[in-house]
Amino acid sequence: MSTVEMPPVRFRISRYRTVAWWGSALACLLSLVGMVLCWLSPTIGLPLKPGLDFTGGTQIQLERLCTADCSSVTANQIQERLRQLNSATVEPQSAPLPSLETAQVQLLDGGRSLLIRLPELTPEQANRVTSTLGSVLGPLNPAGTAVNTIGPTLGDQLLRGSLVSLLVSFAAIAAYITFRYDRVYAALALVCLAHDVLITCGVFAWLGLLRGVEVDSLFAVSLITVAGYSVTDTVVVFDRIREQQTTLAALPVVDQVDVAVDATLTRSLYTSLTTLLPLLALIFFGGSTLFWFAVALTVGIAVGSWSSIGVAPTLLPVFARR
Amino acid sequence: MARQQGWIALILALAIAAAALLFSFPLKLGLDLRGGSQLMLQVLPAGAVRSVQPEQLEAVKEVLERRINGLGVAESTLQTVGNDQLVLQLPGEQDPTRAANVLGSTALLEFKAQRPGTEQEMQGLLQLKRQATAVLNRLKGPSSANSEPTSSGLDQQSKAPQPEIKAEELARALTQLGVNVPAGSSEQQQLELLLGVVNQRIVALYEPSDLSGRDLVSAGRQQQQSGSAWDVTLSFSREGGEKFADLTRSIAGTGRLLGIVLDGRSISEASVGPEFKAAGISGGGATITGNFTADEARDLEVQLRGGSLPLPVKIIEVRTVGPSLGAENIRTSLAAGLTGLALVGVFMIVVYRLPGLVAVLSLSLYALFNLAVYALIPVTLTLPGIAGFILSIGMAVDANVLIFERIKEELRSGNTLIRSIETGFSLALSSILDGHVTGLISCIALFALGTGLVKGFAVTLAIGLVLSLFTALTCTRTILRVLMAYPSLRRPANFLSMQQLPARSS
Repeated sequence: MSTVEMPPVRFRISRYRTVAWWGSALACLLSLVGMVLCWLSPTIGLPLKPGLDFTGGTQIQLERLCTADCSSVTANQIQERLRQLNSATVEPQSAPLPSLETAQVQLLDGGRSLLIRLPELTPEQANRVTSTLGSVLGPLNPAGTAVNTIGPTLGDQLLRGSLVSLLVSFAAIAAYITFRYDRVYAALALVCLAHDVLITCGVFAWLGLLRGVEVDSLFAVSLITVAGYSVTDTVVVFDRIREQQTTLAALPVVDQVDVAVDATLTRSLYTSLTTLLPLLALIFFGGSTLFWFAVALTVGIAVGSWSSIGVAPTLLPVFARR
Repeated sequence: MARQQGWIALILALAIAAAALLFSFPLKLGLDLRGGSQLMLQVLPAGAVRSVQPEQLEAVKEVLERRINGLGVAESTLQTVGNDQLVLQLPGEQDPTRAANVLGSTALLEFKAQRPGTEQEMQGLLQLKRQATAVLNRLKGPSSANSEPTSSGLDQQSKAPQPEIKAEELARALTQLGVNVPAGSSEQQQLELLLGVVNQRIVALYEPSDLSGRDLVSAGRQQQQSGSAWDVTLSFSREGGEKFADLTRSIAGTGRLLGIVLDGRSISEASVGPEFKAAGISGGGATITGNFTADEARDLEVQLRGGSLPLPVKIIEVRTVGPSLGAENIRTSLAAGLTGLALVGVFMIVVYRLPGLVAVLSLSLYALFNLAVYALIPVTLTLPGIAGFILSIGMAVDANVLIFERIKEELRSGNTLIRSIETGFSLALSSILDGHVTGLISCIALFALGTGLVKGFAVTLAIGLVLSLFTALTCTRTILRVLMAYPSLRRPANFLSMQQLPARSS
């Protein structure tokens, strides 16, 4: 019976499975710690630092037309000017200006452009803020101005919409894998998916704690993409394992898994690399708008291809034992 | 070979069609890429209406559409989102202030008669109102009367002439009306506050009436003969004209005033002379003398013509992007995308040799088809959309990698080249299919349940997945087969390095 020969395997994943599990468990733990710390942090109070899209408010981006020296303006000066605005004029038909005490000012590109976060303003009030700041900042490039105002209800809707669609797509994917493969495969694919999403969130929780990075609606999009990519990647390995189960039926599951992982290893690495290349290009050469989006995807996809090699297949023999 | 030629012809035809399509229908760019303003409006349930019904949303949209047409912004679009939201896009519009003002208010115009016995209180309030308005106008400077209120900078405040209300007088008036003045507010702020409260008090002195903006057939504006202020003229329907005549007859010669109230704000008070005692003011017309600026008069005219909103709306999101910011976004994202693609192409050719070249060719076709589909549907290309496109290219490469890895495996295990290619394609099929189907499943869920941004991403990714399935399974395969017809190319060394091949003897 034992005439089935084990094909030559360059890399046996099951030998490293304890290390793999510990590594992943540690990463998950660190992510959870990061999110808990974020939650406990008095300035954040949520597992991830929410951006304008979730908190609501007004964000004004300005581009200055300064020629040589743009560095003469400080964030404090701008905040001071905003405070003055509070005690100055109000137009008759407009709603009262909210307190601008809490305004956050961020200078970018050596003072050439700046980002101001304010409480929710009407377009007319935002205009007034922009024209007032002209006296501190000098001439502004009107074509380089962006004003975003987001009501507080919209963030809720966005969050709810993303979460519901994410959960529904998880359920649908699990049903599909159960139909094409087996329940254990579906469960493991979901474990992998949770692993990838958790670690991506964890990285951003730490970034939020240490660098003040905020998550926006693009982050929600990137999480959804990571989830989809993670499943695709895992399914390819599962497909190979299932194939080995017919050709190498006499061998134990561990060996089948090792053969399958070894056979798909090159593909997994190459695929992640080719997906990461455009993302890395976006990080290094893309605009600032897409920077954190590309970072989130890079982290998620790197973790996703790791989990499809090191987590899902190595867990399979543990759960597949009948 | 004949079958291959058929496929080649099909692929070529598709490529030409896609190129022609792109040439004649340029890609639609989102506002984040071309610049402009986007306003999101939430329709609020009010009164007896608990939740917004589709027909009510439609009714709100109709009124808003009339108002937007009055604004005269080219290419503006108003779309319903979900059950109770509307999104207005104004391409190229840098200042959404006017749009927000015109859209956000209900524009409920009411004509009301003063309650009997309130003459004295009204006199006092009106005097206060006149005073406050006069001082405010002078504070704001003479130039701001005709221009946009926002353009009146802060500098004008400094050269304001002597105010007519003394500080203590103002404070007394405010405390009499029971207004809490926030500490540190300027004189102008206090005056604004006073004016608001006075207008509320005036409205409270009116009787309820059933003559409203619904009884109007049209509205217009005209400049006052003396001075630069504008009036808004109204024409009533037949029924409205009768109601107006009744209303004016009831107060004619009594000293009680006729109030014109817009959205709960008293904008004009007029007395009706005793000569109208008999028949009231007939003729079905009226003029609001509210001392409007030209812009205010035009906006009010637009609102009144469009009719009042059946339900109030609230502006919940305003996004404005400058055109050069949009161009910057396009340029950098495009540059990054192309750099990434070039790197992927180099990688594929280095690792997979001849088939790598084939993959680059079929991926170029993939990108071409993708953009053509965007132009055809049409998909409005936004920043997340571009990201989805770049990402879907990465995933399209995956299908090719899967196939070529299989081919290499088959070659290593000693199969002939042609057979390896055929087996490679058929063995890779199931995993490619599974990967794409799971991807499409999440796209469907995201599209059905997600919000705007997520939806756009789901659409571009779904198009990418379907097309990548097509190009990997037909384009790559056909081109590879056609090339294999040339004996000089039909060598395993074009697929992998010779050391990896099994020795001939074994």
